[in-house]
Amino acid sequence: MNDKQTTRRRFLVAALTFSGVASGSLGISFLRSSAAWAAATDDADNLAVMGRLAQLLFPHDGLADSVYGEVIGEVLATTAADPATDGLLAVAEEALDAAQDQAWIDLPESEQLEAMIALQNEAFFAGIRETVRFHLYYHPGLWQHIGYPGSSKEHGGYKFRGFDDIDWLPETE
Amino acid sequence: MSKQYELDDSSVVVVIGSGAGGGTLANELAQKGIDVICLEAGSRLTLADVVNDPPTMDAKMGWHDKRIGNMVWVCKTVGGTTMRWSGVTPRIQEHEFRALSTYGQLDDSTALIDWPLTLDELLPYYEKAEDKMGVSGTGNIPPSAETNNYKVMAAGAKRVGYKKVSSARMAINPVARAGRPGCQQIGFCHTGCAIGAKWSTLYTEIPAAELTGHFELRANTMAVRINHNKKGKATGVVYADADGTLHEQKARAVAVAGNVVETSRILLNSSSSRFPGGLANSSDQVGRNYMRHMFSAALAVMPKPVNFHRGARQTGVIYDEQYHKPERGFAGGYDIEAISADPWNTSAWVGGWGPDNSVFPQNYTHVAGVFSTGEDPPQASNRITLHPTERDTHGLPVPVIEYRDHANSIAMRNHSVEMSRRIFESLGATDFWGGDAPVGCHNMGVARMSANPDDGVTNRWGQTHDIDNLFISDGSTFSTSGAANPTLTIVALAIRQADHIAERMTQKTL
Ligand SMILES: Cc1cc2nc3c(=O)[nH]c(=O)nc-3n(C[C@H](O)[C@H](O)[C@H](O)COP(=O)(O)OP(=O)(O)OC[C@H]3O[C@@H](n4cnc5c(N)ncnc54)[C@H](O)[C@@H]3O)c2cc1C
Ligand code: SF4
Repeated sequence: MNDKQTTRRRFLVAALTFSGVASGSLGISFLRSSAAWAAATDDADNLAVMGRLAQLLFPHDGLADSVYGEVIGEVLATTAADPATDGLLAVAEEALDAAQDQAWIDLPESEQLEAMIALQNEAFFAGIRETVRFHLYYHPGLWQHIGYPGSSKEHGGYKFRGFDDIDWLPETE
Repeated sequence: MSKQYELDDSSVVVVIGSGAGGGTLANELAQKGIDVICLEAGSRLTLADVVNDPPTMDAKMGWHDKRIGNMVWVCKTVGGTTMRWSGVTPRIQEHEFRALSTYGQLDDSTALIDWPLTLDELLPYYEKAEDKMGVSGTGNIPPSAETNNYKVMAAGAKRVGYKKVSSARMAINPVARAGRPGCQQIGFCHTGCAIGAKWSTLYTEIPAAELTGHFELRANTMAVRINHNKKGKATGVVYADADGTLHEQKARAVAVAGNVVETSRILLNSSSSRFPGGLANSSDQVGRNYMRHMFSAALAVMPKPVNFHRGARQTGVIYDEQYHKPERGFAGGYDIEAISADPWNTSAWVGGWGPDNSVFPQNYTHVAGVFSTGEDPPQASNRITLHPTERDTHGLPVPVIEYRDHANSIAMRNHSVEMSRRIFESLGATDFWGGDAPVGCHNMGVARMSANPDDGVTNRWGQTHDIDNLFISDGSTFSTSGAANPTLTIVALAIRQADHIAERMTQKTL
């Protein structure tokens, strides 16, 4: 794991706690289990399932599939070096697939969503949801899509770049 | 000139923690010529270390030692959580110092008391704190500039009939002052102000103390216990250096300002045959009455662009709800404050998943935000304890944090969310989310000031009831929370405590 990954992983632990996910038994143990998850995901089918799941968790019209793909890649890279305990993705996939006779990935969107709603209170679901949330909303491709420019100190902040340029509000005085 | 003191020099005051409380107390004492050592668990960053990337900065300055229970979002670095704070600095109101007298005891599980201190007594210290921190709109400092997000809040506030809306009371320089520049509206206040416009003890109190020649900062040192002698006086502090080696620094007096959870842990971990329940804990009140304010957050998609990421994270307050108006269905009041969020926070606050969530980050440029902070009635069951078996890397018992909302806070939160909705919908918001924000930024209680030693841990000076030369110098001493963000009051109390310690030393009673 390189420095950047260590840094991001640490923050992710905080992020999970922040979102209440880690207040139960999940959180850190969830992250520890992600090597197994990574191992289980080491093939294209699994990546497709994860990518689709990410898309349905946080849909953004017009956001390139490749961004979701990279987000899943980041999730795996961040967590791959951790000692494995259990295979979360395997659990997730199995649970999703169990919903219907067909593989989850081949279901129409409405049925994919139904399967997700049925599982949304499971601990593994919250873990995957928060991990995807974190990597998606710190991804520069997503930032570009929604118009968030990121770091501003190298541009001198917004003092002369529109911090107070709003012009559509009713008069307040 | 930074001093270096010997470990066996028992003439020094040892201050644990270099944040708002500890950094201020240490500097105030050093300015009076009193020798001070400040033990700080974190390392010393410079402004050049500050980058606009939350994960990177959290790794550099966040507190990551193991904890169990509710989240507490604090820092381990020189400057403490003043590196991460927003700088909103209202005062506690007069009636809030008399919480029990004003509200009455709410129910059996509530432990309201009055502060053993009045607003009148604290007023001169509030003024000193405001001057020290450069609070906008006080003295001859102009109010803070109005950001887009503030203007949305202010316009909506006017539409719902609010009158007391202001962009003042920010401890961020609107213009250059006291050797620090004016705010450039960089917008990453929560990950350290890259130019030092926002007050943090890292680049104000700490270097000022060093200039006195009466101060030594020991960064990367973790205080693990406070020792005492047979007479029950504190005699020194045992700490682990960066290599984990333990040392004992002798002391004339000890002041603890580790930000509530750590303050509780140090006291509880310093138990002895004489003080089996922990230091200063004859009342069994150490760790109890942990308060963190009623919190709520609200985000709205506005009809046109706001770009709330531009400029300071927080820039103003609506004060109309801060009063005690029981007809609203709860005791005490709250403040509504403009706040912005990065894309991840925008999604994480809303929580859940699916289009109901992603509509907010999807419309990021159009999102506006507020959060509310309000009175949090103390409950003895909200408390910090030590885990019986879990140990951290220092071999210290892991703190367990138990916090549950008071029914009063739930009623207040519902009210604040409803008012936030009205503010944004009055301007045509198309989507709205409001709810709980489980962050643990404002930590108070656990060693509260009380007139009666059975009700609390410290007296009106933050001196422990049990041990004469042991002081508490952070939000732990708050008897009740009030609605205001806590730090201005922490700083005012620390300045006042320094005066008291100096006086006692002159009288030779310390
Ligand atoms: C995101 C965020 C925004 C905030 N915004 C505001 C705001 O707008 N207004 C406001 O009033 N407040 C705000 N706060 C709260 C504010 O940061 C705190 O009230 C304030 O920093 C508390 O001061 P303190 O001295 O008690 O603790 P800290 O500032 O946290 O300092 C405690 C220090 O003690 C050190 N320490 C702890 N234990 C030990 C030990 N055993 N040995 C050695 N050192 C130790 C820590 O490393 C730390 O540096 C905010 C907080 C957060 C997280
Ligand atoms: S917005 Fe102002 S205070 Fe906040 S980080 Fe930027 S310059 Fe500092």
